[in-house]
Amino acid sequence: MNIWERLLKIDRKIIFVVMAVLVLFPLLKPLGLGVSSGPRAKAVFDAVDAIPPGKTLLISVDFDPASMPELYPMLVALMRHAFARDVKVLLCGLWITGAGLADKAVTEIPPEYGKEYGKDVVYLGWKAGVDAVILGMGENIKNVFPVDYYGHPLDSLPMMQEVVRLRDIPFMVAISAGTPGFGDWLLYGQSRYGLRVGAGVTAVSAADAYPYLQTGQLTGLLAGMKGAAEYEVLLTRKGYSKAYMPAVAAMDSQSLAHLVILILVVLGNVAFFATRMKRR
Amino acid sequence: MHISTDIWTWLAVILTFGIFSFLWKDNPFYKFCEHLFVGVSVGYTIALTWYNSVYPDLITPLFRQGKPLYIIPFVLGLFYFARFIPQVSWLVRIPMGFVLGWASGVAIPAFFQTNIIKQIQGTLLTPGIFSRWDVFLWALISFVGVICSVLYFFFSREHKGALKVAADTGIVFLMIGFGASFGYTVMARMSLLIGRFQFLLRDWLGVIK
Amino acid sequence: MRRSIPLAICLIMGIVMMVQFFVPHPISVGFYDLTTKWIRIVSAFALVLGVGSLALYHLDRLQRRRAGWVYSIVTLVALVVTAVIGLVWGVKPGSPLQEVIFKNMLVPLNASMFAILAFYMASAAYRAFRARTKEAALLLIAAFIVMLGMVPVGAAIWGKLPEVAEWILSVPNMAAKRAIVFGVALGAIATSLKVILGIERGWLGGGK
Repeated sequence: MNIWERLLKIDRKIIFVVMAVLVLFPLLKPLGLGVSSGPRAKAVFDAVDAIPPGKTLLISVDFDPASMPELYPMLVALMRHAFARDVKVLLCGLWITGAGLADKAVTEIPPEYGKEYGKDVVYLGWKAGVDAVILGMGENIKNVFPVDYYGHPLDSLPMMQEVVRLRDIPFMVAISAGTPGFGDWLLYGQSRYGLRVGAGVTAVSAADAYPYLQTGQLTGLLAGMKGAAEYEVLLTRKGYSKAYMPAVAAMDSQSLAHLVILILVVLGNVAFFATRMKRR
Repeated sequence: MHISTDIWTWLAVILTFGIFSFLWKDNPFYKFCEHLFVGVSVGYTIALTWYNSVYPDLITPLFRQGKPLYIIPFVLGLFYFARFIPQVSWLVRIPMGFVLGWASGVAIPAFFQTNIIKQIQGTLLTPGIFSRWDVFLWALISFVGVICSVLYFFFSREHKGALKVAADTGIVFLMIGFGASFGYTVMARMSLLIGRFQFLLRDWLGVIK
Repeated sequence: MRRSIPLAICLIMGIVMMVQFFVPHPISVGFYDLTTKWIRIVSAFALVLGVGSLALYHLDRLQRRRAGWVYSIVTLVALVVTAVIGLVWGVKPGSPLQEVIFKNMLVPLNASMFAILAFYMASAAYRAFRARTKEAALLLIAAFIVMLGMVPVGAAIWGKLPEVAEWILSVPNMAAKRAIVFGVALGAIATSLKVILGIERGWLGGGK
């Protein structure tokens, strides 16, 4: 067995260890590669920046804990952006196991900006029947959510006096890990009620969002943890937040991990073709 | 380094390592965590469905506000239980027919508008197409790419002649598309691992911010 | 009757909802509003099917002492305990369901389950991702550019790499994905029509 053949038969646990070490290292000792923001994230940022103070940003929390590292930082960053500009935030969700994540953000973020539940932020919770939820919200949000996630009647919340239906919302961001997600908001929220939609998606589904970006159906796109990092950078640059940026902190590890995969693919191919040539 | 003293954080750490232990090999600890996950997820879903959907949408209007019309969805919903009673299991088809018919009816115009009309518009009309040469060129490549990729999926005729040329061109676009998806998938999976490591280093060991 | 009633309900609802889209009359809107409410309620009950099937499967495994039956106890106990805690103490912040079960059990289990995929992806990339054909090579090159162009190290290697990656995503990738969107949409419309017209009857299941 020559070196290439041995390389092809390497124990996968060695690959696991190399991967783990290279992801861990930059978390402990950051490399400081820096993050620049791309046009897609900037488009979402600009759309939120253009919402007049006092108006409402709708965020749909359509993900579960499996996608939390990618999408939760987006949720936090979007809420910080809105609160820094005195924009109100309305949250809902189409994924049942994401309900707790939205609740965590609603509990932790508004106090940072002195915002009050019911006046500046409302969390509607989760409902079954994706299309029926969105279509129902288009007619009257109170019909779909007579009470919020915490059991308060919507009529008792001052913020909900001004937000009756989807047409009262100038912009929304669907943070989605798949289906249901931004596609459903386009299908039912935009096609019927003209809702302006931006998306925050897991990187897995980011490439699939491009046809909707080109048509302008999606105003902008935050793609994976990098998208969240770009938004965090924009927030800090504009002076809206000085908080810790978890997605930015992860970008050095992300870079190294990508390099490792790249090297592994090249190495695997070189070993494969070298072995095949030798056999011929 | 400030190791957490919170018992629940330790529980989360133990469960994390339980799942990670699968990397070594399948083992009872992993299997325990896997089955725990299924049970907890479904239990959580039951509680959430009750408090977020059934109670405010059905129990309150029907029993507390006395709106009799709500008896219809209530009965339709109860028919789902019939699935587990062999003598009347066919009743489950009624709510399914109701939901499927409704969802199909609303889906057709929505799909047509969002995914057909708007996408055709986007393929044919690009804003500012004649303002810059590169915008024009990329729009042209996109147009050719869409047509050829669609033709690749056309299997009603044998791929030969002009159709073969178009389908082969379509494969090029599709492969680049799948490559882009793969590149992004690597990013996604790595992010999830980083997220878990951040939890271990921050919430458990307290060695990072 | 056991098949024709559900099929008739499906047909009527499908046609009415399709027509309703184009008729903004108050009666039409009122009907739409009412059925939208009903659908949300009925959809919530569909959970019964999932929970019932899961419970029956594990109870059967337990009764017959099939391989791994001990783990079925874990699933069933976890299901019941979580549901009872949730139903008794509620879902509000500070409740045991939210603070203990969601934050410290569901989140780590779910997140870790997907996190380990990173390792398998690395292993698979090394062992299986081969540029055997021109098409595979193309896929590989596009993947490399996107992988590097989307992270800071890509820009550090070559400043134009993020732009090239963005071009790949916006032009050839967009074209390919749009073709797939067309396919999916036409498929969804065709399937919806088949369901409404009773041509697709798989959802009726077996039996009379």
